[in-house]
Amino acid sequence: MTHPSLTPLGGFERDLDRAALRRLVGEIAARPELWRPLVTIDAESRRFEQLWRDTHIDVWVISWMHGHDTGFHDHDVSQGAVAVVDGALIEERLVLGGAPLERRHGAGAAFDFDASHVHRMRQDFRGPAVSIHAYSPPLWRMGTYAVAPDGTLRRASISYAEELRPVDAAA
Amino acid sequence: MPTIDVHQHLWPEPLLAALARRRRPPMIFRRGDGWTLRMHGEGEWPVDPRDHDPDRRAALLDAHDVDRALVALSCPLGIEALPADEAAPLLEAYHAGVAELPARFGAWAAVGLAEPDPDALAGLLDRGFVGACVTADALGEPSAVIALAPVLALLERRGAPLFVHPGPSPYTLLAERPVGAPAWWPAMTRYVASMNAAWHAFAVAGRPAHPGLRVCFAMLAGLAPLQRERLVARGGDPATDPLTFVDTSSYGARAIDATIRELGVDALVHGSDVPVVPGREPALGDAVRAALRDRNPARLLSTATEDVFA
Repeated sequence: MTHPSLTPLGGFERDLDRAALRRLVGEIAARPELWRPLVTIDAESRRFEQLWRDTHIDVWVISWMHGHDTGFHDHDVSQGAVAVVDGALIEERLVLGGAPLERRHGAGAAFDFDASHVHRMRQDFRGPAVSIHAYSPPLWRMGTYAVAPDGTLRRASISYAEELRPVDAAA
Repeated sequence: MPTIDVHQHLWPEPLLAALARRRRPPMIFRRGDGWTLRMHGEGEWPVDPRDHDPDRRAALLDAHDVDRALVALSCPLGIEALPADEAAPLLEAYHAGVAELPARFGAWAAVGLAEPDPDALAGLLDRGFVGACVTADALGEPSAVIALAPVLALLERRGAPLFVHPGPSPYTLLAERPVGAPAWWPAMTRYVASMNAAWHAFAVAGRPAHPGLRVCFAMLAGLAPLQRERLVARGGDPATDPLTFVDTSSYGARAIDATIRELGVDALVHGSDVPVVPGREPALGDAVRAALRDRNPARLLSTATEDVFA
């Protein structure tokens, strides 16, 4: 894919590992001219803009408002990295029989994860939050998790479109 | 945002009449109680005129929850590939007929290939045709794409999309179905190969020359997007671009989802190929459904307010 402004970040001739993904989101975060125009504030729902996609990676700019919440999910076969560039986000990791492991990522923070990572991202910051997400290989299928009335954990396989190209997104 | 099916076929009454007047393929003729189509390379097929009745088709759109359908001339008939004097009355009958369809139908203009005529195409765009449908064989190698540059440049200049559909060029019109091959043979062999060829020829020669042209390849481009690892292994450039789309005709959830994996969901549009095959709905979730039927067709037809890449 040929978003010209990303070309200086380097071509992507193979899938990126976690460290490379983390470097990439850090480099993009340091160049607000790339992502700032894609920020959209919407109290109703998170807003997603694709900054880049090729055979090996995809990069998204996600705008969050207070209360927005992904629910617990995985990224199937994709590894990923996230840089928070504005506001703050809470990441929770599912722990069986215990409270979730919680980490707060403020503006300037970045983290990465492998394909086995199950997490939930939510925004409880006063103002808007903005984050840069990169996935390699590009996000395709995802798993979403819910606890059934009998306490068992259920996983549903969904297209990445359910998360990043939701039905109610603007054209 | 309207739900759009970008790929249907409807032979309007003037075209049926013009085909019935012919004495060599492509032609339709009465046999017993019904009509039969005879075409080059595909043998004979029964034709039910009710399949091409606008009122019945409109009811089918309702049943499929589709607001608007784009119809194209059926390229495998080979009309576009006929000598210009033979093609002209058939093309005129198609264009005149579909121009009279109710407003919820749009139409792809057909392009005669013996003597491609950008001026005629410009006139059709002026009359409201959404873009042009060109046969895959006519775009099957880089030099063929270059030869059609006047047509592609006109589309690009007018902001109208190109639809690539399997079908012959004047050079491939007389290819015959092999003896003993079942009826589906061309659709599983020649069509698939020709869509792959057109996809790659356009990437090599079409996109560089026409950077602003929106293009849609029927039938997931014969699954050409899934050949990208092989393309890289052979030294090709796997670049994708946001102005190239594929429609889903004849495919189901597995092939569609595999193509989404390769191209991303933004590149796919719903195309049913009704009435050649019944319209089917892949069970890939509401978001994929909305992307393929609403949002992406709007971008292909440039009726969206913004593009994916801001």
